[in-house]
Amino acid sequence: MTFVEANTGEAVVFWICAILSVAGAIGLITSRKAVHSALWMALTMINLAVLYIANSAPFLGMVQIIVYTGAVMMLFLFVLMVVGVDASDSLIETIKGQRWAAIFLGLTLTVVLVWGIGSALAGVPAVGLEAANREDGGNVQGIAHLIFTDYLIVFEVTSALLITAAMGAMVLAHREHWQPKPTQAELSQARFLGAGHPGNLPGPGTFARHNAVDTPGLLPDGTPAEVSIPGALKARGDVQPVDIEDVHAIEEADSL
Amino acid sequence: MNAVVEAVRAVEETPWVMPTLDYKLLAPILIILGAGVVSVLFEALLPRAARRPAQLVLVFVSLVAALVSIIALQGSRSLSGRGALVVDGPGLIMQGTIVIIAILGAMLMAERGLDPSGDAFAARASALPGSEDERQFTARGYFQTEIWPFFLFAVGGMLLFPVANDLLMMFVALEVMSLPLYLLTGMARRRRLLSQEAALKYFVLGAFSSAFFLYGAALLYGYTGTISFPGIAAAVSSTTGQTGLLLVAVALLGAGLLFKIGAAPFHQWTPDVYQGAPTPLTGFMAAAVKIAAFGALLRLFYVALGGMRWDWAPMLWVVAILTMLIGSVIALTQSDIKRMIAYSSIAQAGFILVGVVAATPAGLAGALFYLIAYAFTTIGIFAIIMMVRDENGEATHLSKWAGLGRRSPFVATIFAVFMLSLAGIPLTSGFIGKFSVFTAAIAADDTWLVIVAVIASLIAAFFYLRVVVLMFFTEATDETAEVAVPSVFTTVALAAGATVTVLLGIYPQPLLDLIINAGVFVR
Amino acid sequence: MNVYTPILVLGLLAFGFAVFSAVIAPITGPKRYNRAKVDAYECGIEPTLQPIGGGRFPVKYYLTAMLFIVFDIEIVFLYPWAVAFDRMAVFGLIEMVLFIVTVLVVYAYVWRRRGLEWD
Repeated sequence: MTFVEANTGEAVVFWICAILSVAGAIGLITSRKAVHSALWMALTMINLAVLYIANSAPFLGMVQIIVYTGAVMMLFLFVLMVVGVDASDSLIETIKGQRWAAIFLGLTLTVVLVWGIGSALAGVPAVGLEAANREDGGNVQGIAHLIFTDYLIVFEVTSALLITAAMGAMVLAHREHWQPKPTQAELSQARFLGAGHPGNLPGPGTFARHNAVDTPGLLPDGTPAEVSIPGALKARGDVQPVDIEDVHAIEEADSL
Repeated sequence: MNAVVEAVRAVEETPWVMPTLDYKLLAPILIILGAGVVSVLFEALLPRAARRPAQLVLVFVSLVAALVSIIALQGSRSLSGRGALVVDGPGLIMQGTIVIIAILGAMLMAERGLDPSGDAFAARASALPGSEDERQFTARGYFQTEIWPFFLFAVGGMLLFPVANDLLMMFVALEVMSLPLYLLTGMARRRRLLSQEAALKYFVLGAFSSAFFLYGAALLYGYTGTISFPGIAAAVSSTTGQTGLLLVAVALLGAGLLFKIGAAPFHQWTPDVYQGAPTPLTGFMAAAVKIAAFGALLRLFYVALGGMRWDWAPMLWVVAILTMLIGSVIALTQSDIKRMIAYSSIAQAGFILVGVVAATPAGLAGALFYLIAYAFTTIGIFAIIMMVRDENGEATHLSKWAGLGRRSPFVATIFAVFMLSLAGIPLTSGFIGKFSVFTAAIAADDTWLVIVAVIASLIAAFFYLRVVVLMFFTEATDETAEVAVPSVFTTVALAAGATVTVLLGIYPQPLLDLIINAGVFVR
Repeated sequence: MNVYTPILVLGLLAFGFAVFSAVIAPITGPKRYNRAKVDAYECGIEPTLQPIGGGRFPVKYYLTAMLFIVFDIEIVFLYPWAVAFDRMAVFGLIEMVLFIVTVLVVYAYVWRRRGLEWD
């Protein structure tokens, strides 16, 4: 198999980006944690974008970065953040031998693809996009020419896809209310009529030697205010005792 | 230097020749997709109570208008949109059938007389199953009227799919058709977890198959340098030597389309989705997606790849045999009627593939007839599945169908006719369908394939007849389900399905003539 | 002197500063930790309170992100159109207006159904 030589710079860019994008793809499927997978995917996407740009397709490269690395990655990452970053997938196979079968089939597909593409590319000279880009005075213009004339119907029909996507997200993810939302007045009335503390709870202790949330604030008579500690810490038993020296320091300051 | 700048400016200022669109050829598609957009607008602007009547009027008026415009196009054979779409006889027949099936499917989806708490779709798909929210929405009579815009977009995609004449158009049509169906699958009112699981499976596997299709399209473009079907056909017929890339491309494209058809080994999603999806949607999907996807498959293999039939026929041979056998044999073991019909639909896809492999005008005509017959029968079957209920909703377990013939002889008889039609018993549409497909295959020297198909038909006949025996020759027990009385919507859809099934079995000639006169694809 | 030298120098400076900050902070800073201080949120909320592999999570963000992607893709089409719109005459304008209006319809839907309100 012989590949037609590109110039050196292009070859360098190709080998760096190709190796990084494949590494990203392997990282994507082997990471145990979802966030790591997402970051590996960003690596793959950005390297593919660089390859597109190196191949005289700057528009495709920028779209790759804007849509995939920007929007899709953001979708992934933020949804993952909401779901909880530590939630690594359970790796128990529900179907026996599934993983080996999948690896075998994936490798078979790879071999077939490499054979198919490799045999077809043997000895084919690289043409490049210069001629195509020159035709309409630029890469973006050329793409515009195709989208808005030859593939006009495809372009317009794409809007149906966008509508379905947005509406589907609404239907599946937007929670409606069957009762009217309480107004601010109602909320504050409920707070005062209820059993709890009507205003803000007192803050935790802020002293010269402790300023953490786990040290209670002091009441005017010098006793610790239990409500100034967040409930979760209290339940966990993470409350620091008030240092008696702090109390003395306050008394001293008062007596001056 | 100045001369170069001048030259660039001259290029940049040349106006482009914009395409001229023949709106008459595009009318059916424009009507349905336009109605979809209006339908979204209805959802946005109308008060809650007014949405359903407005949507129903919009859906039925636009579907009838699309049908009229398809009939008005009868006899056209031309390209549209610079060759992205092609309007020809087989394409129009498929579009027409899809629209009629959509009308019947919309009737099933509009049914509110069967479930005491409303229609077959969740009151609010976003409410957590089993939550207080869900109970409140159901009790307060909320309905998810967004099903109608989804439905219209799916129909629009289906109308585009069989007339797409390049790979890009075909891919976008595939997605426009599939996305709304993924969403609708997850919106069942009862057994919602099953429905949501089905939707997720359908979506993930569907996205996977779309990726295969896209990869195949890219490779085919790499090989031929064009994505238009006539261009690919020309490149394929003039090709010599290395065909490795071409074969890989065809296999990948085939995998993407065979997934939508539900052919083995790409059939795994079918039983789960058929069972989990709301029953009216299953009926519509089972019938209409099969027509649209077979239309796309036929056009791709006959028009673009017709010149290399000897390369793809063995692949489809294997797929057809696997599909028929797997569908028929696994259907024997099912105890849920919806899953059984799902495996039966896999087997039926195999029988239709037998006609596709023939790659002759007779094969095309046979496949078209079979598809039409199958679609009407399927709509009828799911109409009845909607009606057979117990206190928990639809009674889909086969044990609850025991003795149904004694309790509701009329409905059970209609169901038995549908079963006989799927089994291919004479005097039903299924027999004519099988007959025309098998004769086309024998004429194309695929005798061995037909022998396998006949064996598979015999296996399939066993489980179809088992349901008939179960309904008529078993005593009814306390477990036996009741047949609920539907509103006029389901009644009309069921009557249409039953009438066409019987009519095409007794007097198929007009439809056969229509299909023969429609001719072949525009190349 | 190459014109890119200042950029290179600036890049090295930024890199050096980042490394310096990261190294110097743990060396010179006081270290008085207790359990509450090493929590992700000092208010005591456990960041992993959610049951792993189960339970239901708010998916509000998903809606926002999905809408963002939809309009992001719309922009992708707008850009080549804007570069070449003067060569497509009125036909090109109508094409794009049609596209934008159809996508705007779903925006109207999301707006009217309070999809843009956080809760």
